[in-house]
Amino acid sequence: MSESVAPAVAGLFVADEHGVRVLGAKCEACGTPYFPSVPVCHNPACPGSRMQPCGFGGRGVVWSYSIANFAPPPPHKYDQPFRPYAIAVVDLASGLRLVGQMVDPPEAVTVGAAVELVIDTLYHEQGKAFTTWKFKLV
Amino acid sequence: MQEVAVVGVGLHRFGKAGDAIVGNKSVTELCRHAVDMALQDAGISWRQVQAVSAASSRFSGGKGWGLNGNDVVEDLGSTGVPVYNLSAGCAAGGNAFNVGWSLVAGGVYDVVLVVGGEVMPKGMIQTAGTEEVTDPEFLRQRCVGIPGPAFWSMLARRRMHEFGTTEEQMATVTVKARRCSVGNPFARFQQAITLGDVLNSPYVSNPLRLFEICPVSNGAAAAILCSPQKARQFTGKPVWVAASAVATLGFDDSLPRNLAGPVPTGPSYHTEVMGAVRKAFERAGIGPRELSFTELQDNTCYYELAYPEEWGLCEPGEAEHLVEAGETAPTGRMPINPSGGFVSFGEATTAMGVFQIAEVTWQLRGQSGARQVPDASVALAQTNGLGGNATAAILKR
Ligand SMILES: [Zn+2]
Repeated sequence: MSESVAPAVAGLFVADEHGVRVLGAKCEACGTPYFPSVPVCHNPACPGSRMQPCGFGGRGVVWSYSIANFAPPPPHKYDQPFRPYAIAVVDLASGLRLVGQMVDPPEAVTVGAAVELVIDTLYHEQGKAFTTWKFKLV
Repeated sequence: MQEVAVVGVGLHRFGKAGDAIVGNKSVTELCRHAVDMALQDAGISWRQVQAVSAASSRFSGGKGWGLNGNDVVEDLGSTGVPVYNLSAGCAAGGNAFNVGWSLVAGGVYDVVLVVGGEVMPKGMIQTAGTEEVTDPEFLRQRCVGIPGPAFWSMLARRRMHEFGTTEEQMATVTVKARRCSVGNPFARFQQAITLGDVLNSPYVSNPLRLFEICPVSNGAAAAILCSPQKARQFTGKPVWVAASAVATLGFDDSLPRNLAGPVPTGPSYHTEVMGAVRKAFERAGIGPRELSFTELQDNTCYYELAYPEEWGLCEPGEAEHLVEAGETAPTGRMPINPSGGFVSFGEATTAMGVFQIAEVTWQLRGQSGARQVPDASVALAQTNGLGGNATAAILKR
């Protein structure tokens, strides 16, 4: 029996034939990327907000990372027993600096490592796996 | 604009809820102690205070609305003075000082009380607590899970990559900070610790360890600001405010505060802090290498290394060597946090900007005992807080 799966928060990411992407927006006037989406461009130098939905995915490079040695307080959710994980700040080639958990064990992560965006389980609740975006070393 | 003098300062020693220092004292009791001390230091009475600029807490007191200044006024005696309650996260004390300074500098009032106090909740500070998918902080915690110290450890890890900083060098910063706190009657921790103690403390967020991250504390701080004319009536030795500045972050700020932002083309640093510190140097007409010492917001040892370089106090990549050579100690050529800093006091969030003013004032008067910076004549105090708030003040003899 396959486990039923749902996103931890709906509408933030997608995995389809084009790959994995977080769903944000981009201002067509000034090129600023946003995730999550915002209704109006925040760039004070923008000539005039023109927001369009935009997905960001693909590969990137770890700018830095930290390790959660202890579980964050709610509203974070995780499976018991808590296992330390790395949180990476990744500069995606698609122009977004994005924060996310690493799939790989903390010891394997380095600054400058090449990673790709993936969807992975964050926690289980009531027999369901709840997913989020993460990064994986390539 | 007129000159502004600091004529009195006071602190309630910092401690942990339930301990022998702060016990179960309310934020109002802590503030009363600090304000009484500042009034006595200035040689004035409560009834001479013409306005109150108060850092407002979201954690305790303030009638649940951050009205902490109103609590203080009620407690000291309702004289009808105007009260300004200011919220800026960990920069609130700095903001309250800036507004107090502005009110005196602009000639609106002659005598202003600046006050900040805090009774902190136990454990890790939670964010808003609402489960709203429109709240970016909820998304950060639910979808990723970023404990408070993780932001600092990301910055520390990046510095290790850029400059080859070692964990031993970061631990040395904490050893220096705790050595400064020995004999500081207001510090929560007043005992020196060894490199081994720091390196044996557990990781809270690798590469940062328990002893390298400031805990939360309860405490309070107060300062009395005056016009020059009043200052001369009250004291023969006022300390002068050479500059007070506030800034918020710039759109080009690329630190990982949120879930995402544009990949930057230049370096990543605290733009709000740079904004406030630069303005303070400009307005004071004082250069970064002219400071006798600096009190900066060391939530963690990383900042004692990064900030002096970002502000031009020393060259990029030089900070580790200055720390190892003892140059950041009170007797060194670039003293940082002679008070012992946040790492020795713990963070009573809204009190911090005012706590720094108290330390700077004592140092500039030559009253700091074992931690005295020799012949201190001009100093910088800096805070930053949630929301991208930052403050900087330069005080001189
Ligand atoms: Zn735009």
